[in-house]
Amino acid sequence: MKRIFNLYTFFLLLLVVVALVRPYAFFYGLQRGSLYSLIALPLALILGIVGLLNLAHGDFLTLGLYIGYILFNQFKFDPILSMIFIAPILFVIGLAVYKSTIEKVLKSHHLNLLLITFGVSITLVELINSLWTSRPRNVYVTYATKSISLFGISIGAYEFLYVAASIAVLLVIMLVLKKTRFGQAAFAVGQNPRGAAIVGINVKLVYTITFSLATAMMAVSASLMMPRVSIFPNLGGPFTMKSFCLTAMAGLGNLPGILLSGITLGIAEAIVQSIPGYSGWSDLVFFGVLILVIAFRANRGAER
Amino acid sequence: MLEIKNLSIAYGKVQVIWDLSITVGSEAVGLFGPNGAGKTTLINCILGMIRPISGNIYFDGRDITGLETYQVVRLGIALVPQERELFPLMTVEENLKSGAAYIPHARNQLVDRMNFVFTIFPVLKERLSQKAGTMSGGEQRMLAVGRALMACPKLLILDEPSVGLQPSIVTEMFAKLKQIRMEGVSILLTEQNVKQGLKVIDRGYVIENGRIVIEDKSEKLAQEEHIKRAYLGV
Ligand SMILES: Nc1ncnc2c1ncn2[C@@H]1O[C@H](COP(=O)(O)OP(=O)(O)OP(=O)(O)O)[C@@H](O)[C@H]1O
Ligand SMILES: [Mg+2]
Repeated sequence: MKRIFNLYTFFLLLLVVVALVRPYAFFYGLQRGSLYSLIALPLALILGIVGLLNLAHGDFLTLGLYIGYILFNQFKFDPILSMIFIAPILFVIGLAVYKSTIEKVLKSHHLNLLLITFGVSITLVELINSLWTSRPRNVYVTYATKSISLFGISIGAYEFLYVAASIAVLLVIMLVLKKTRFGQAAFAVGQNPRGAAIVGINVKLVYTITFSLATAMMAVSASLMMPRVSIFPNLGGPFTMKSFCLTAMAGLGNLPGILLSGITLGIAEAIVQSIPGYSGWSDLVFFGVLILVIAFRANRGAER
Repeated sequence: MLEIKNLSIAYGKVQVIWDLSITVGSEAVGLFGPNGAGKTTLINCILGMIRPISGNIYFDGRDITGLETYQVVRLGIALVPQERELFPLMTVEENLKSGAAYIPHARNQLVDRMNFVFTIFPVLKERLSQKAGTMSGGEQRMLAVGRALMACPKLLILDEPSVGLQPSIVTEMFAKLKQIRMEGVSILLTEQNVKQGLKVIDRGYVIENGRIVIEDKSEKLAQEEHIKRAYLGV
């Protein structure tokens, strides 16, 4: 416990130092990292409760973005408001994907599960490609391009929504897990599916609802990032990887840790990007930090 | 109450239960047998965790063969599994509550049941906010029994509940089981500690290699030569 406390103190100190020395990297990293966390949270839920690493995770984000794009393009829907339409559509798609593929192999070997989500990922990307071509799509809204001055630097104001949303989504998830009967059931299933069945929980149903709900949750990140990205079919892949990294770094079942890891990695990435000539190294740093943290944790585990 | 008719169970090609029939009425029934006899397999099958290759299981006159575990449990069968199967990251209190929360007829008696469990295992009351995963083996066993009792079952199945418990607590727990049984709860119990087990049960079966070899009243079982030699070590 004391060590963890020290780690957090160290982390906070580092943040303060970065904020003082490189305020732009700090704020930009905070925003990016929050977005990564927002995207990673549903993946962590599915991994923690269903025990499934969903390699198609990022592609549901892509799908959400395209749905939002269509709503915007055809019906002039505001990107953020379109969340309330994207979410139920994604829920149904998630449900259909889960019932038609994943549930069928849930009892078999882990590798089969991984393979099937990989298959789902490829199928989704190809489907998106043939439906909407690989031409990048953009959504413009004026409010998303405003910037504000903070500590003498100019930074995007809109992106602070990522920070607010990631904290809000995290709190809602934790509250649901702790305070609702479904949440407690899901928490129980995640720890011990056999035990859950023995106390009368319909484990299959919990899996189905968790997967579909987590997929629907991708509507939040899709809506928020919509005005700030170019939408193209392969957009999701790197986000799947980063989501997995955050989950691994936080440790299974540690949801607040995802926000912390996300912000750490976001800032590390932003610092590297701010060094002229080295911006291409940011992914390397992302995965480098991840490996360090996991190695550190494994080492600490071995000492005990 | 519980009636098992001509049940056969196999893991892949290996058959472990052979055409087995037992009944549990309004009574406490023991299931004794050596390691690997098939006791846990039989119990897991009653709970719907394994599908039999043939035969039927009836509960309260209803065919429950092939039902999902959660459906069986909601009908009024509670299990204390051999492997405990607790929720390690949840507190003692949350584990106990989970025993009643998903069973409609138990949910509204939650507080009463919890107090009842505390009279059997007072130590649980002192540990309400401890995480189940950090408890000792014996404490976890008590929690597993407590969680099953929370379900207000009509039939309570216990798979080797005394493993890892100190003798005084075993005696105490079995005394309480007797009390629970008096209150009208049927009990099906497997036990390595045959001597203790015989004190609680009304009737018992001895199962060897997936078949019933002896069935009798508990007083008679205690006199059986085979049981004396193989299980009581006298
Ligand atoms: N999942 C499984 N796959 C294959 N064989 C199994 C499986 N589970 C149990 N068995 C076999 O079935 C037989 C019966 O096992 P079971 O666990 O039912 O015995 P038991 O009577 O409960 O024994 P114990 O007193 O040791 O708990 C054993 O020979 C065991 O090896
Ligand atoms: Mg057994």
